[in-house]
Amino acid sequence: MGATFAKYREVALVHLKCQLAWRADIMFQMLFTIGRILFAYLLWGTIFKGKDTVAGFGFDGMLSYYIFSSFLTQLDLSPGISEEIHNRIRGGTFSKYMVLPMRTEGYFVAMEAGVVLFYLLFDLIAAFVWVAVFGIQLQVTTDTGVAFCAFLLVVLGLLFMVQLNYYLGLLTLKYQGIGTFLMIKNNLAALVTGSIVPLVLLPGGVVEVMRLLPFYYVTYLPSMLLVGRCREEAFPGLVILSLWCLVLQALIHLTWEKYSRMYDGVGI
Amino acid sequence: MKKDKCPCRKRKRQSETERGSENTYFIPGKAGYGRGRPGKYLRILGVLIKLRIQRLMLFRLDFLAPFFVDGSLFAVQILAFDAIYGNVERIGTWNRGAMLVYIGSFSLLNAVSMFLCFFGVVRIPEKIRSGELDLYLIRPVSPLFYLSFEQINPGSLPLVGMSLCMIGYGMWTGGLRPVGRQVAAYLFWMLLMAVLYYDMEVLMRSLSFYVLSTSRMDQLEEASLELCMKLPGTALYGVYKLLFYCLLPYGLMATVPLQSLIGELSPVGGTWAAGIVIGFSILTAVAWKRGIRRYESASS
Repeated sequence: MGATFAKYREVALVHLKCQLAWRADIMFQMLFTIGRILFAYLLWGTIFKGKDTVAGFGFDGMLSYYIFSSFLTQLDLSPGISEEIHNRIRGGTFSKYMVLPMRTEGYFVAMEAGVVLFYLLFDLIAAFVWVAVFGIQLQVTTDTGVAFCAFLLVVLGLLFMVQLNYYLGLLTLKYQGIGTFLMIKNNLAALVTGSIVPLVLLPGGVVEVMRLLPFYYVTYLPSMLLVGRCREEAFPGLVILSLWCLVLQALIHLTWEKYSRMYDGVGI
Repeated sequence: MKKDKCPCRKRKRQSETERGSENTYFIPGKAGYGRGRPGKYLRILGVLIKLRIQRLMLFRLDFLAPFFVDGSLFAVQILAFDAIYGNVERIGTWNRGAMLVYIGSFSLLNAVSMFLCFFGVVRIPEKIRSGELDLYLIRPVSPLFYLSFEQINPGSLPLVGMSLCMIGYGMWTGGLRPVGRQVAAYLFWMLLMAVLYYDMEVLMRSLSFYVLSTSRMDQLEEASLELCMKLPGTALYGVYKLLFYCLLPYGLMATVPLQSLIGELSPVGGTWAAGIVIGFSILTAVAWKRGIRRYESASS
């Protein structure tokens, strides 16, 4: 058990160190947290000129939501996993991962953990800088239990996104080209995770449907919990997201068992 | 590229060029051949479209893929618009109908780009890094032209239609009834902004000649587009206006055509916008040409 953990820890550490080679990327990563915050600041600044609240949010509450959701969205670097697997399978070089003395999925989870740990610090710094620059009165929950639930949701959400992208990548074994699915997934994920607009602004029926889907709990709910809203959804959210992780794990297992033998190592 | 100082060599090249134009489009080794002839480029464009459609027909899912991708993006835009602007009646002097025309116009620019050149331009960094750009440099046609238009995507055409519907619906709901002159001005500015959109796409990718990784530049482009697609330029002020009008001029792209359509564009504003388009076109041409000179094949 200890030896297994040490292997994955080593993978995470290697990827953490690898990020230092791309110093310009670190700078841009920090810079891009501003995109959504600036969008929110300008857009909602205009909208709030004639109003005090929109869907229960005040101006600072809305900006606080965007700070948290932008921070969490920047942390999720898992889309690269599905693209990497897709390209490797199509290029016939996925064997690189198959010959590793560890589970392929575990390798990608460890890799993501290393990268996320590296960027965590820089994204936090960026978030604080933008709060200061825009003069936002950050609204944060004072309930430690809720904050802890939000933390667990963030961890589970990141794991779920890794699983999802790993699963989509594996589908290349069956469908050969999944670039289209990946692009559609990226387009929809931006909306359904609540990183474009808070989901509470969408029609009630749509939000009810989204509550059954995992994306609601990946970015939107943790952000809402952190600004001190939707407390009653924290525990059900943890349960639903955990169930989705289990379902996806089963799907990954079945897909790997069924299709990994179809990989012939010569590309498509 | 060094200029030919010897008149004999210059004449020889000219005669090769003239002979080549009678025979075929692609003569390897004659990189300077016929560049700048509109008729020839139109013929090449026709051939590229034909080849592309033949290739797409082999992989039918790829033929429809852009439609699904763009359709999903369009649906997301509509839902986001509804969520945001459901809470506000006006942004400045623009009502909800004008905002729909704004978003439709931006979507139209995006769709035209996706149809014509996006999928070609987006491959430029990869071609530079891998050294595959060599294959374009030895062709007797402008490498940028070939790269831009070799991946034309008919699958994006439905998005053009959807964007036009959105513009029409916005004009109808917003009570906008432009006269012929305003429509002509709108079309003129849309054409100029399509050029600016292309300039920005190429400029961002041309940075691959100078830096190792431009993946974050793609993110910068995406973030700017995402912001300016939902937020009209008229809502920008101060340093933000400078940023999105002059440095990353995405804020101009749909704002100026709409202002011309509803008669809000001042002569100074129009001159300024035209200057930005010309300036960015020159900048893009310079960045590309200098990049080509700097390019060192697979090792760059």
